[in-house]
Formats: sequence, C-alpha cells, structure tokens
Amino acid sequence: MGAYSRTVVLEELPSGSRARIVEIMGRGGWIYRLYQMGLTPGVIVDVVMNIGRGPIIIRVMGVEIAIGRGIARRIIVEPINT
Amino acid sequence: MSQSTHKKEYEIAIIGQPNVGKSTLFNILTGRKARVANWPGVTVEVHEGETDFDGSRIKLIDLPGIYGFSTISLEERIARNYILSGRPDAVIVLVDSLNPERTMYLAIQTLEMTEKVVIGFTKSDAAHAHGVHINYDLISKRLGVPVVPVSAATLRGIRSLLRTTIDVARGRAGRKKPLRIDYGELEPYVSSVESLLKQYEERMEYPIRWMALRLLEGDNDLYKYVRGVCGDDIAEEIVKIREEIKRIFRRDPAELLAKKRFEYLQRVLGDAIVRLEIKKGGFERFTRLFYRPFIGPVLSLIILLGMFMIAFTINTGFPLNILLDSLGMHDAASAVEEYSIGGLMEKLFSWISSWITNSFGESWLTDLVANGIISGVGSVLIFLPLIMIVSLFLAILEDSGIAPRMAVSLHGPLSKIGVSGHAIFPMTMSLGCNVPAILATRAIPSRSERLRLLMTLPFIPCQARLVVILAFASSLVSGYGALLVVLGYSAAFLAFAVVNKILYIYEKKKTGKKEPEIILELPPIHRPLGKVLWWHVWDNSKHFLKKAGTIIFSLSILIWFLVNVSPSLAITDNPSDSIAAVFSHYLSPIVYPIGIEPGKAWIIAFALLIGFIAKEAVIETLTILTSTASPQQALMLLGLTASQLSALTVFVVLYVPCIATIAVIYSESRSVRHTLATIALMLGVAYVAMLITYGLSLII
Ligand SMILES: Nc1nc2c(ncn2[C@@H]2O[C@H](COP(=O)(O)OP(=O)(O)O)[C@@H](O)[C@H]2O)c(=O)[nH]1
Repeated sequence: MGAYSRTVVLEELPSGSRARIVEIMGRGGWIYRLYQMGLTPGVIVDVVMNIGRGPIIIRVMGVEIAIGRGIARRIIVEPINT
Repeated sequence: MSQSTHKKEYEIAIIGQPNVGKSTLFNILTGRKARVANWPGVTVEVHEGETDFDGSRIKLIDLPGIYGFSTISLEERIARNYILSGRPDAVIVLVDSLNPERTMYLAIQTLEMTEKVVIGFTKSDAAHAHGVHINYDLISKRLGVPVVPVSAATLRGIRSLLRTTIDVARGRAGRKKPLRIDYGELEPYVSSVESLLKQYEERMEYPIRWMALRLLEGDNDLYKYVRGVCGDDIAEEIVKIREEIKRIFRRDPAELLAKKRFEYLQRVLGDAIVRLEIKKGGFERFTRLFYRPFIGPVLSLIILLGMFMIAFTINTGFPLNILLDSLGMHDAASAVEEYSIGGLMEKLFSWISSWITNSFGESWLTDLVANGIISGVGSVLIFLPLIMIVSLFLAILEDSGIAPRMAVSLHGPLSKIGVSGHAIFPMTMSLGCNVPAILATRAIPSRSERLRLLMTLPFIPCQARLVVILAFASSLVSGYGALLVVLGYSAAFLAFAVVNKILYIYEKKKTGKKEPEIILELPPIHRPLGKVLWWHVWDNSKHFLKKAGTIIFSLSILIWFLVNVSPSLAITDNPSDSIAAVFSHYLSPIVYPIGIEPGKAWIIAFALLIGFIAKEAVIETLTILTSTASPQQALMLLGLTASQLSALTVFVVLYVPCIATIAVIYSESRSVRHTLATIALMLGVAYVAMLITYGLSLII
C-alpha cells in the first residue's frame, strides 16, 4: 500500500506521457465498458493527447480511445518515466 | 448422386467487437443482405442472411457489435441471450488482425460460454502493411479452437472459414468443452459458487462455471434467474461470496476477473504476435487536428458543410449558380442550373407528361397518369441523385474513420446542450433519414440522453425535408433561395439546441446529473473500401426508390382523386369543389396568421396534412393540387410572398417528419406518452417558430 504517493488521476497527465492504471473509481455502466476495452489495473496507457479540455485521447493495447474528462478524473494512474 | 450429401441446415452466429469488420464480412458471406455502418456499436438490429456451402445451407445471424457480455447494453443482452439459447450450431467470433490483443477479449468470453467457436481474424490483407504478424497455428493450438484468417477486401479465407465453421457445427473440429481459464487466487471463490449451483444443474439452462463467473461479476439478470431457480438462500450465499472478494481484495470482482482474462489473453497471444513499428501516415497525423480546441469543431463543420454544398451543386446547381450570378456571369449561372442533374430530370418528366397528354388525348385517365402519378412521383424522383451523393459522402466519413474523430471534436460544444459526442452519429444520420438515426441512439451509453435525443433528433431535417426546402427555394430569386436553405437548417439546429438545452437543465435540476461523458474507440484512419461505399449508396437509393414506388406512388393516386373528385363522387375540373378542398377548409385557419388568403389556404393546409405521412409528399401535393408540372410552377401559381415561404419552410422543417419516424420513436421508447409528447412538442415548436419567422421577416 506504500506506493500511492506517486499516483495521479489520468486527467492530469500531459500528452505523450505513459502510466500504469492503479485503480478505477466509481460505479455505473461505463466502468464495465472500460474493463471491456482493456482498461484494468496494471495495464499501461499512453496519453496521445490531452490539451486541458475536451476528451482525452489515450492508447490502450494499440487502440486509441477518447475518454471524457469526468471519467478520466476517476482513473487513478501511476506515471512511468520514459 | 451416388455420394450421400450432408443436406443439413446450420444456424451460425457471427459476433465481434465494433469495427472489427463484421458487417463487411457478413455482407460478403450472404451476398448483401444487411447495411454496413461503421459508427462503433451501431449495427444494432440483428440481421440474417443465407449462403450455401458444399451442399449445406447456412443461415447466418449477424449479432450486434459488442465489447463483451456484461449486459450493460441492450446489444450485449441480445447477443448473449442468443448464444446461450442453444440455437446456433456454431459461433464465428471475429477478431481484428490489426488489433488482436483487445478484440480477442470477446472471443475469450464467448469461449467461456460455448465450445462451438471458430475464430476469424479479419482484415488479414492489411495486417502486414500495419506491421502485424500473427502465428495463427500457435493461437489455435493454445486455445484448441480453429483460427482462420480472412479478408473481405481480397476474399481470401472466406471458403476456408465456412468449411471450418461447418466442421465445428458437426462436432468434427474445435473444442469439446467451454474454455476454462485459471483465475488464480480467485479460483476458491469461483468453485464455491460452482458447487452451490451444481446441486441444481439439472434445472439450469446455462453452463455452471460461466454462471458462477458472471454472478461474481455482479450480473443482475442472471442473479434474478438463479434466485428463481435455486431460491433466496442460495442467492444470498452467492452475494456473500461476492462481498467477501470485495472485502479481501478491496476491488470490484468484475475488475479482477476482467484483469485475469486479459492476462490469460496475454499468455495466449504474447509470442504469437509480432508487431513491427510502422510510422504513422501523414494523413493520420493530420487527423490529430480534430482533437484540438476550436480548430477541431471548425474542421468538422467545414467538412459537413462542404459536403452538402457539393451535393447541392451537382444536383440543383445551387449554390454555385448564385455565386456565378453575383459575379455577373449570368449565362454560366443559368447553365449550371439548367444542366444540373435535377434540372435535366425535371425536363424529362415534364416532357413525358406532355407526351402522354398529347398522344392519348385529354381524359381523366391521362390526367391521372400525367398530372397525378408522373408529376407526383417525378417531383420526388428528381432528388435521387442528391440522395446518392449525400450517402456517398456520409459513407466516406464513416468508413474512413473520420466520423468518430468528428464526434470527439464536437463533444465539447455539444456537451453545452447536454448531449455527448456520441450523439454526432445519430445527428449526422438524421441529415439522411431520421429512422436509422433513432435506432442508432441505442449505442449511447446514457439513458436519459438517449430519451432526450429521441424527442429532438427529428428536428434535424432529413433528405425528404431537404427536398421540400429546395423546391421552395427554387421558386425564389436565386439569392433569396439560398437564404431560405440557410434559414431552414438554422431553424432546425436552433430548435434542436434550444429544446435539448431546456430538457437538460430541467433534468439536471431534478436529478443533479453531471456533464455528458464520452468513451469512444477511434479506429485507425484508412482509405475506405470501394465496395462498402457502393453498398451504402445503393442501400439508400434502393430505400428511396422503394418509397417513391410505393408510398409516394399510392399517395399520388390518392391525392389526385381527393383533388379531382367532388364530395358527391363526380369528377370535377375545379379543385376547389373537390373532397380535399371541402375537407381542408376546416384546417385552413392554421395558416391565416401568416397572411395566406382563404382561397389558397386550403391548398397549403392540405399539403401540410399529407406531409405527416411523408415529407416529400408536401411538394407532390402542391404540384397535383395546382395541376402544374413542377413544384416551381406550383409555388409560382400560389403566389406566396417571400415572408410566407420562409414561415412555411420553418414549419415544414420542424413539424413531425413522417409516420415512420413516429413509429420508430414509439418502438424505441415503448411509451405512448413519450411519443405523444414528441408529436406535441414538434407541432408546438414548429408553429411558434413559423409565427416568429413570419413576424421577423415582415420587420426586416
Ligand atoms: N483492409 C481491410 N479493411 C476492412 C476489411 N473488412 C472491413 N474493413 C474495414 O474495417 C472497418 C470496419 O468495418 P465494418 O464492417 O463496418 O466493421 P463492424 O463495425 O465490425 O461491422 C471499415 O472501415 C472497413 O472498410 C478487410 O477485409 N480488409
């Protein structure tokens, strides 16, 4: 449980960064959609584009996905230095 | 003859995640029975088709494109229930060769439900160009399932896929039992649930292990089913086990299981797939512009607008003719207009009409054929080229992968009116026809957003209403005609925005909902397949021709009778003695406020009434009522002022689009109240907007 000091939410990651998903918070149908699209804890995501507003574009398992900011705020990630 | 042939019928289901190329392959396999749509997740209706192979008849069921079987959406439920029904003799799961790591997830889930599976790797023609190399044999060996690479583009592997599928259906290939994934530290819990269910195995319709997994994932549908079969005690035990996982692992079991499946997938695919880095094409990089603020939405709007401009110009000469006119090139302007496809077809139809009257003499019958049927159907048919061109453009946007990027770019502006970027698909489709657009709303994740869209999408003018706007516009001096088109579309989008915003604010007050969200896959940009484009165009044209041949044709005859027969059932030359006139007299007052005199008001009122059935019928009715050859002449004869035409245009754009749309709103909302509210809303908004338009145009 010690590593949480390094975690941020996906929404805060700049374009071009890479991170590992730590946790997805919340409930609702959209969370299952995320799981099905391969966004589960441990998976690595690349932020293709995040310009501070509008949907965030990420790449997971080779596929680009647009995610609304409200949802990106609930995805806790651990940045990986590249 | 000597050989015994397997003359058996097989029922085969095809599933795949959105964008894997399922519709395209299904069309190839069945020789074109279903429509192709690239909006992720929009192939919602279940299509069926048939094909013969080696003396066997294969009935193919095209299940909706889904990401998994969690039953969060209607589509997932449809697909899951069908696969579990035991009806399919085999299931073809399609996996995208360009993106197997993700799209195989559905195959794994299917394999947990049933052993009768064939995996097809689609787009195999494009794999190498994308740097993807797949060892199909290795994957097949690891899963114990036949794996067949196919391509809808080159047709490679199609026969092999069918042969393998039949082998699986006959039990000669494939697995003998559903797939069992090792869920590691979760296994004890899965086994506990399994043993609880085992006692009732006889009475269960589904595989026990699969049920155990789904119950742990929190599947409500299945939970109710199990409670029904095994009683409350067992159901409670299961809930307890689920709670225990949550307590110990501090995670949602659904998340843990999904993670395990992906890890399993990684072990299966890991060294069976080699990816070489291929650098992104220039066009792909260009499409990143869609994600930028300001530039993105503007780019999207320019594309949509440009598309309609080109389509209009080819069809009617508008708006190029106006541009030329204003540059002082009057001859060129009228040539563009005269030799536009619409102009030429109009000439053809009026030539046929007069040829019939001239060669068969004047009688009520030639009048029915020439002025009823030919000018009625003709006034609608001249818009076929327009429909073909617009369909082609929309197909290019869909098939190239540009459409979802436009959805992302417009998500920001749209969320201001409470609508997500997902709505762009149904909205764009609405510009063609509202009926498929309303079906397409099923892919929208938020239910409340979907219900709002069911009410407001019909404001967006379909091609039928475009036909009416253009006909109205053609009766005005060209500059004003252009303004009329702009007015029609502006009114429509304004109404769409304002009504959505009001409904959204109301909903937010009531339920405290937050801003709309989007989760949308962005398939790689690529050149569209020629045949897919052609299918789109042909399907839309066929739909339109069918409508012209049936509804419009019958309406033409009906209208001709209503206009040429008096209430005492005698043929009359004077339309104002006709049944239509007598009847519409009661409706006339609705157009008095925009200053239309009683003598003409009944004609307009009658046309609007017929417009409830199908919008094209408005101009058709006007043409027949005034016994003229073209909508242009009809409107000339009616002598409407520009203000009146503007007001009428706004009304026609905004009021109920057609019977079919109402029917589909009902079938999707399953609520008479919702449907009636939609009708009332549209009529109310249309009428008020008409009065406002009239008032404003008098001031200007
Ligand atoms: N290169 C290639 N592209 C394909 C093939 N089949 C489909 N596609 C493309 O893949 C995209 C998705 O196809 P579609 O059939 O609409 O996918 P669906 O959502 O699974 O029904 C479309 O843009 C097609 O042009 C194929 O065999 N080869």
